[in-house]
Amino acid sequence: MTITYVLMQNLRRNPLRSALTAVAFALPMAVFVAAISFVVALGRIARENERQLRLGVHHKVSIINMLPEGMRRKIEAIDPNRERMVAVCGMRWFGGRVPGTPNTLQSLAADADTFRIIYSNLALSDEEAAQWQRERRAAVVGRGTAERYGWRLGDRVVLESTIPPYLSLEFRIVKIMSDPAQATFFFFRRDYLEESLREKGIDSPRCNIFWVKCRSAAAMRSLQKDIDALFANSPDETKSEDENALVAGFTQAAGDIPGLMRAMAVVVVFVVALVAGNTMMMSFRERTRELAVFKAIGFQSRRIFVIVLAESLMLSMIGAVAGIVPTAVVLAVFPTRALSYTPISALEVSPVAVAGSLAIALAVGLAAGFWPAYQAMRLRTADALRKVA
Amino acid sequence: MSTADIELIDVRKAYYKDRLEIPVLDGLNLEISAGEFVALMGPSGSGKSTLLHLIGGLDQPTGGSVRVGDAHLERMSERELTAWRSRHVGFIFQMYHLVPVLTAAQNVELPLLLFRMSSAERKVRVATALNVVGLGDRMDHRPNQLSGGQEQRVAIARAIVTDPDVILADEPTGDLDAKTSEEILDLLGHMNSDFGKTILMVTHDPRAARHAKRILHLDKGVLHRDETNTSHAPVRTTA
Repeated sequence: MTITYVLMQNLRRNPLRSALTAVAFALPMAVFVAAISFVVALGRIARENERQLRLGVHHKVSIINMLPEGMRRKIEAIDPNRERMVAVCGMRWFGGRVPGTPNTLQSLAADADTFRIIYSNLALSDEEAAQWQRERRAAVVGRGTAERYGWRLGDRVVLESTIPPYLSLEFRIVKIMSDPAQATFFFFRRDYLEESLREKGIDSPRCNIFWVKCRSAAAMRSLQKDIDALFANSPDETKSEDENALVAGFTQAAGDIPGLMRAMAVVVVFVVALVAGNTMMMSFRERTRELAVFKAIGFQSRRIFVIVLAESLMLSMIGAVAGIVPTAVVLAVFPTRALSYTPISALEVSPVAVAGSLAIALAVGLAAGFWPAYQAMRLRTADALRKVA
Repeated sequence: MSTADIELIDVRKAYYKDRLEIPVLDGLNLEISAGEFVALMGPSGSGKSTLLHLIGGLDQPTGGSVRVGDAHLERMSERELTAWRSRHVGFIFQMYHLVPVLTAAQNVELPLLLFRMSSAERKVRVATALNVVGLGDRMDHRPNQLSGGQEQRVAIARAIVTDPDVILADEPTGDLDAKTSEEILDLLGHMNSDFGKTILMVTHDPRAARHAKRILHLDKGVLHRDETNTSHAPVRTTA
């Protein structure tokens, strides 16, 4: 028999309470791991976006307000020698969904000539690029979306637009993007969309956004100022933002998710600390006489302190593991699909989140157990025995 | 050293409640020879348990000196007292105070965790102690699977497993019926007569006190009577 064995047995003293406390740890830890994994995934995408040096130019009022197609030439004219910008690509929101399904895909019509340059990180091969240029109905689809609908390369797919005039267009998939930042996107050619709109009597080529690929971060900052200055006081005033700011704006349109996640994580820590602290205090009070006997038979005060603290740590770590493991399993078996307005296609448990939650469990275990352990250490044996004798 | 003599000189002990001094022991002098079986009697609040705690190093006197064997307890720190207790004193309590989630053997093994000792050696010691108290066949039983008398036997085994010089028993039969009490008292008698342990037992029960060779009467912190029990109950063979 070892002291560790005694600790483990102590957790069996009141199995229901130990189990409930472990569950009280496990559930918030599960939420915490998922929340932090989400934030970590967003951070990873943000870092990737930063490297791409893309500047998004949209209407100052809202990205919903569309800008005339001709603005592309005006933006290009700001840097005729291409010293600061590489290319400009206009994009128009299609808002398509697979017929018979409720979810709107992040489907965008992009300028065919500059799409490959703007999205150089997609690594379109020459053959894929040639298909994109050759086929009016070519579509480039993120892996997340493709997996969700079981699409494969070369498949013909139909999307119905959810915005007037509710076009129904057919596409052929020429590329499935593996870049996680684009996992939920569906790109196709804007000329195809504009022609289809013209057939419906709408002849007003417009874009929701112009992406400007820049040569450097400094160039991006100066272009941001120059572009917004160019269109200031015009009917189509612009707001230029880097990709991360734009994505953050989208994400926060559905609520400040990263902020909520972080707030939730803080609340989780406090709630768990209170629950664990309460349990440990109850456990200590119930066992005052037993701890007094331990002291009487020769256990030093410091050892008693360690025993009580270790019990708290053990309970918190069991709870944390009970939260982390099922979360990892559930997310691996059932990838989260309800994140369609974020750039995340499937949420995976982040090692950072696991390490963080274990560290928090450790800290909470220490915090919750410290006071009962200190009380146990300071326990006056004779007084404790007298009270119960 | 297998036994100890105990000497208390002018021992005073007071507790404080709201700055009010409550004297419990008042200039108590006492000598107990090694190998004695002493019963300590007196009404509630007379200072019996306090005296027991002082001799067991669980508490420090307000004044005077307490010597057990070579150890002057009033001069020792809490840390030193704790280490000393683990080697020299075995405690038996009225309510047994066993750890409910451990088996009888594991409860007895607890004090041995403080010693540098192999697992095999600990097992031998535990088996010996439980056999001495007649519970060799109950080693794997948990306290809730034992009767009150059996629980107290386990507590006695826990008290003797480290081979202490002194056994201090605080109302060891206070929670037991008459028959079981006799068995426990006989067992304590055996510890004294067969193993030479010095035993100091606090009791309210005159029948229990009859098992001791010497009976001390304490009242209001003062030793009123110190009598030799010439007719102490003979030790019977235990189960």
